[in-house]
Amino acid sequence: MIAVIGITLCLPATGFLLVKNASQLSSKIEYDAQISVFLSKDISDDQIEFIGSTLKQSNLVKNLHFEPKLKAWEKLQTKLKLNSLDAGISENPLPDAFFVTLNSLDTAVIESLHDDIQNLEGVNEVIIDSGWIKKLRSILYLIKVALFVLATLLAIVLIVVIGNTIRLQTLTYQNEIELSRLIGATDSFIQRPFIYTGIFYGLGGSLVNAGLLTVIIEIFNRIAYKFEHILGGSIVLYNLSLNEYLLLAALSMIIGLFASYYAASQSLKKIKKNF
Amino acid sequence: MIKFSNIFKSFSPANEVLQNISFEINSGELIFVTGSSGAGKSTLIKLISALEKPTSGEIIFEDQNLSDLSNIDMPYLRRKFGMIFQDHKLLFDRNCFENVALPLSINDTTSVDINRRVRAALNKVGLLDKEKVMPITLSGGEQQRLAIARAIVSRPSILIADEPTGNLDKKYADDIMNIFYSFQQVGVTVIISSHEAPQSPIKFKELHLINGELGNKDVPLLS
Repeated sequence: MIAVIGITLCLPATGFLLVKNASQLSSKIEYDAQISVFLSKDISDDQIEFIGSTLKQSNLVKNLHFEPKLKAWEKLQTKLKLNSLDAGISENPLPDAFFVTLNSLDTAVIESLHDDIQNLEGVNEVIIDSGWIKKLRSILYLIKVALFVLATLLAIVLIVVIGNTIRLQTLTYQNEIELSRLIGATDSFIQRPFIYTGIFYGLGGSLVNAGLLTVIIEIFNRIAYKFEHILGGSIVLYNLSLNEYLLLAALSMIIGLFASYYAASQSLKKIKKNF
Repeated sequence: MIKFSNIFKSFSPANEVLQNISFEINSGELIFVTGSSGAGKSTLIKLISALEKPTSGEIIFEDQNLSDLSNIDMPYLRRKFGMIFQDHKLLFDRNCFENVALPLSINDTTSVDINRRVRAALNKVGLLDKEKVMPITLSGGEQQRLAIARAIVSRPSILIADEPTGNLDKKYADDIMNIFYSFQQVGVTVIISSHEAPQSPIKFKELHLINGELGNKDVPLLS
């Protein structure tokens, strides 16, 4: 019984563990957001200099690189190997551009910087290039939501499983319950041992879950260690923190309490009807 | 102490089990509820012990109208009765001591008190040497005495027994009856249902049921 609860708990807990590790990993990745600032075509050199110095003053800017339109044009031509391209195009279609490397990944900060630059005179377009990390994070967020749904479903499963077990136990003790009622036991007195059992199931299940998770992590880390040279870097899964385990235990105990209370009071109602 | 006024009880509209029952039981009395099988003895006993509620009519117990009593208060009322059931209702997965101790654990009695009082109750019915024995190994008469011990362990002021001697031979039945008489002698109200009133050495009141109606007759024997 306790093993069943432990395994049921283990499913969402493993998922949560993976997401937690993945989001920790994603925040550790040395990745710098970049923004590209494209300037208007008819901009003067003074304006370019002004924009450049403004960007330099911002403490968010880690690195600043100016690419004049001519250079960009040459680059494009060599890249495309189309020397004849300018035959059809009379003038350089590319604008001057600043490529800015930022020292922050905070979306809100980047957004506000983006707006500030956009408002500068002579700036045509500002493009933020932190897309993939954003995508990763939104995927992780989606997985989190999915896990939450899964956890909710499994909580319902737990309620049913514990409730059913308690109901069977009340059947086993039916004579005793009936007699206790006849000689003046209150409903809460009769329900109490069953509710304790339910809470105990919750607690036991969460202990089993903690053990299972620890074993899973240990096995995973050992395998990952073996493949370290292939993967080119160690991947280490971290266990849940003590607080998270305590929260999990509290939750499963509450589920146990709720399920057993419901099952016991239902059985009691049925027994009351019998006489 | 207990007063029934115009009590009707039916389990289905076509089947009136008890009709227009009125009587009064005073503290310390010995009462026999008599009548043939199906006359409504067990139902009357259940009404007295508040296990059933009447369809209509009024039951006053210690100046309290039972129909005013909420379901939450019911268990506390029941603790005032010592109940001996027709089918004993002993728990066969527990030994004699634990069976007798059950009402005390419901009352939150301390374990020292439980020990003392359970032994006293077992001693009273002559089963002290069997406290560790499982009830299934006891004879019918002994099981009945065990049920009595369980009923008296919480020292109720009213003892209610539903056909306590129903399937016992005469010698055992006399033993059981003498136990009840001894309780009545010390001031306990004793209510016993039985086919017919026995040859009792002490004064008692008889509630004689005929087809759910009371053919009330006070039969004082030896006074």
